[in-house]
Amino acid sequence: MHIERDLVGGDVLLKVAGRLDTPNAKPFEASLMEVVSTTGGGIVVNLAGVDYVSSSGLRALLVAGKAMRTAKRRLALEALQPQIREVFDISGFSTLFEIS
Amino acid sequence: MSVLAELLAGLGLLFVGLSRLSSHLQHATGWRARQWIRRATGAPLRGLVCGTLAGAATQSSNAVAIICGNLVRGGVFHTRDAIPVVAGGSVGTAALVLVAAIDFRLLVFFALAAVGFAIHLRLDRHPGWRDWIGAALGLTLALLGLVFIKQAPRALDAAAMATWIGPLLSPWLGFAIGLALAVVSQSSSAPTLLVLALLQAHLLDLSAAFPLVLGANLGSGLSALLAAGGLEGTGRQLCHVHVLVKAVGCLLVAALWAVGLVSARLWGSAEPADLLQAAAGGNIALAVSVLFLTLQLAGALPVTLARGAAERLASRLSPPSLEDGASRPRYIDTRALDAPASALDLSQREIQRLVSLLPTLLPDLDQSDAATPGERLALWRGAGAVVRDVDLFLVALMGRGPGPEELAVALRQQALVEMIRALQDTLHDFSEVVESFDALPPLGFNLSESLRTLVLSLADAEGAEDLSVLAALTADRSTLLHRIRQSLLGTQAEAGDEMRRLLLATTLFERAVWLMHRIVVALHPVENDDNPGLSSGAERNEVHAH
Repeated sequence: MHIERDLVGGDVLLKVAGRLDTPNAKPFEASLMEVVSTTGGGIVVNLAGVDYVSSSGLRALLVAGKAMRTAKRRLALEALQPQIREVFDISGFSTLFEIS
Repeated sequence: MSVLAELLAGLGLLFVGLSRLSSHLQHATGWRARQWIRRATGAPLRGLVCGTLAGAATQSSNAVAIICGNLVRGGVFHTRDAIPVVAGGSVGTAALVLVAAIDFRLLVFFALAAVGFAIHLRLDRHPGWRDWIGAALGLTLALLGLVFIKQAPRALDAAAMATWIGPLLSPWLGFAIGLALAVVSQSSSAPTLLVLALLQAHLLDLSAAFPLVLGANLGSGLSALLAAGGLEGTGRQLCHVHVLVKAVGCLLVAALWAVGLVSARLWGSAEPADLLQAAAGGNIALAVSVLFLTLQLAGALPVTLARGAAERLASRLSPPSLEDGASRPRYIDTRALDAPASALDLSQREIQRLVSLLPTLLPDLDQSDAATPGERLALWRGAGAVVRDVDLFLVALMGRGPGPEELAVALRQQALVEMIRALQDTLHDFSEVVESFDALPPLGFNLSESLRTLVLSLADAEGAEDLSVLAALTADRSTLLHRIRQSLLGTQAEAGDEMRRLLLATTLFERAVWLMHRIVVALHPVENDDNPGLSSGAERNEVHAH
């Protein structure tokens, strides 16, 4: 898994590539939480390079989403591949996150 | 050939009967019945007497050991309390020969007739009797199996066998023949017939028949391990106790016999065989019966007295299985029933533990070293047993007349337990569908991992905020799933059977999410429009109907 970090406007853009599976979920969650704790704006996660998401990957997003909701900040997802979008729809995550 | 056919038919009936008995007993034995059984077997002497009566009634110590094993596995009572019952079972089978000539076969036929008439009269449709009649059918089928097994050796020409074997018989060969015949025929009847034939044909005296009787006694114990079939863990421990009773009896009586022989050689006292025959008034058949009874008593009494050590040994030989561990409640305790507030606190903790264990019922498709289907099946069965125990606990609590507030809480918990039970079963069914694919299609993977995410979130939920998020995540998604089903039906990409299983997976997924939503609402501390009195019977009926 590879994560690139950019600043777009006031938001942090995280470009994720690879698999969001069990081995990668912890580093992914740590990266997200690090951004949550060290920045003050919104976070946008670009998932264009992600072709596999398991329950561990979804849970990492859920943890970060909870922290962002508590801080009343925005966490958005973008550029989901169709099969990844299906996981988000079926799991109900599409209703929890702003997806573009 | 008829001997083999009767033996196999008997074994088949025994296995089917025990399986039915085991499954129905777990449902049939309510809290009161469990309390009664525990009281009846709470002291070693009472347990020994109960076992003796059970052995006399069933005429099979194997049946007593295996039925006790099933009761222990069903959580009705504990291994330690069951040990004297198993020990008594051996005494009962031997003692009855001396006190009465009951035709066991006729008893079984009448019992089977009674169960058959009960089913014909549709008494098994009565909710309170259904499982008791199911358990009675299982028991009578198992006992009918034992009748077949015991009858089978009668077709053997014992006299011919005795003529053939008698001259060749050495003490060790006699022991081995007795043991083998008892193991194969699942009872000591066959070797007993052989011993009597050998004695009556004067091919053998009582002294030479002694090793054969010892072998038959030990063999009938070992046969319980074979008859136990799939019984494992704590359930199987009592079969080991049964073998221990037989082995200790053999060792002690053999030691006493040896002392008698040495005494006869050195000091010219009477031979043990002569003493035994004299005690039986010269009746050779009675002498064999007395020897059998002595073997049972010599095994039963020491094992009952040292039941702690027997339990440790049995536990080492058959360690508790995964299902045993999963089926033990962690918090609820009957002693708390007198204090309703504490009892409700304990049942609430048990319910929370059941929720936290829900993810173990689903496959983790992302990890190759996750639990196997067999392990998940054991966990599902174990979790189901705990749900039943919590339900019985709450019923017992409500039966003690708690205050209105406590009654309301108990009813709410009972409704929650029913939803958890329904969710456990749905997750189990879903897992079976997912695991039925050789190569899981992407939709199956997405459904499984989505469901796993939701269940993990439910298991970890802490406080109102988590529950609010979960309520949103588990909101109605019938439109989405309908669209997915239509898409599946419209594509020819999936093979017919594969599509059918995927459709079933979507249905089970939808039901699981709906149940989770109801559980989230019930767990939510705030009463709201989504939480309209979960204690109502209508709500519970809805769970079953959905």
